[in-house]
Amino acid sequence: MSTALIWIGVAIIGGFGALARFVIDRAVTKRKSSSFPLGTFVINISGAWLLGFLGGLALRPDIALVAGTAFVGAYTTFSTWMLETHRLGEERQLSFAIANIAVSVLLGLSAAALGLWMGGRCVGH
Amino acid sequence: MSDTDYLKLTTYVGERQRSGDRLLAEELLDLYGAQNVATSVVLRGIAGFGPRHQLRTDQTLSQSEDLPVAIAAVDTADKIAGLAGRTVELTSRGLITLERAQLLTDLPALRSTQSTKLSVYVGRQHRIDGRPAHIAVSEVLHRNDFACSAVFLGVDGTVRGRRERARFLSRNTDVPVVIIAVGDSAQATAVLPELHRLLPDPLVTVERAELCKRGGRLLARPSSLPTHDAHGTPLWQKLMIHTTEDTLHNGEPVHREIVRRLRQIPNTRGATVLRGIWGFHNGRIPHGDNLFQLGRQVPVMTLVVDSPSNIATAFDLVDEITTGHGVVTCERVPALVSADGGSRDGSTTLGLFPPG
Repeated sequence: MSTALIWIGVAIIGGFGALARFVIDRAVTKRKSSSFPLGTFVINISGAWLLGFLGGLALRPDIALVAGTAFVGAYTTFSTWMLETHRLGEERQLSFAIANIAVSVLLGLSAAALGLWMGGRCVGH
Repeated sequence: MSDTDYLKLTTYVGERQRSGDRLLAEELLDLYGAQNVATSVVLRGIAGFGPRHQLRTDQTLSQSEDLPVAIAAVDTADKIAGLAGRTVELTSRGLITLERAQLLTDLPALRSTQSTKLSVYVGRQHRIDGRPAHIAVSEVLHRNDFACSAVFLGVDGTVRGRRERARFLSRNTDVPVVIIAVGDSAQATAVLPELHRLLPDPLVTVERAELCKRGGRLLARPSSLPTHDAHGTPLWQKLMIHTTEDTLHNGEPVHREIVRRLRQIPNTRGATVLRGIWGFHNGRIPHGDNLFQLGRQVPVMTLVVDSPSNIATAFDLVDEITTGHGVVTCERVPALVSADGGSRDGSTTLGLFPPG
């Protein structure tokens, strides 16, 4: 695959990743009533699982770049996670703020590991 | 004191709402600027909901897409009545209210004998004795024992008929900042000469407000009103709840909890939360945010305008949430229009309140 084609692929697939975040975040946020930022949490955990899964599949490098870096990279968000945690701190909701960091890290690592294992199983490792 | 009648026109809408191909907030301010409205200001909110009960809040990124703005304009009753009709025409979804106000430019003695809401307009970079004007004014209000005061940063407005709009990379010297304070009439009478000394060219509005709660203590419930006046025009009321951003009720900030609960009541017409930059309530000294702090202690003001029966329901709920803190006031709103697409509820005809 030519370099130009990969770049175009990154731009387009990355755009779909951003759209997926937008849609899923909205759908989750609509249903919640507490101030815990559940939308971003669901996105980051599912993204960690997906990136692990793609890693486990051991795809061709250019496909891995488009699916992993472009799609999952645009889908998950570190900055929103940090901003929303800071906002919780500003309103003295410290237990939610700490939970948002701790649970995201713990479940995120587990989701990535689970994804890797499941991806590996799919290709018979 | 002149006996001219003044009106305040307030529009609560989503900041992204458009009128034709332009933003509604800009369109309205162009209109107010063209008509040389004595004072008007655009305040950006941090949370709220409207006729469709869609929650907007700056708590999460995706819900902060279309936060509310409150656009207030004060001028003579004749001028505002004309602008109210045009404002309703331009607004496809939102709440528009008309309230009686006195506009003071020479600060004489007050005629009212009840508790009073003052709005003092200064410029962003105006200074009094080497300090920002809003800080100097807050101190005078605090010294005179006002129940609360909060400073809100305008992003656009008109000042004595001249358009003053905030721009990026500009000092924005004359862009309006409004200081909203509640006190009794004796305190207001005492403070006006002091403000007159501080502000060479004062721009102050005075409105009548019932002080319902102070420091969480119940002083009086909002006076109960009939739903319509003698001519069949509907009557409305407005609650204003002053708290600080990190005042909690059961672990949730009070203003978030008020919005959440009001939104669960099916026929409420909306709520808007504004965050101030400086202020005080509960007898604390006036303050803003510090650089080294986590919780924000700036004032927030939650506004609810609705029918007398909905306000009675809302007050019970607010009373329960503000047990240990906060100032709650209630005002009479003689006209309201709630717009949602083609449907319009209410009118711009002013209702007549029973005396008292």
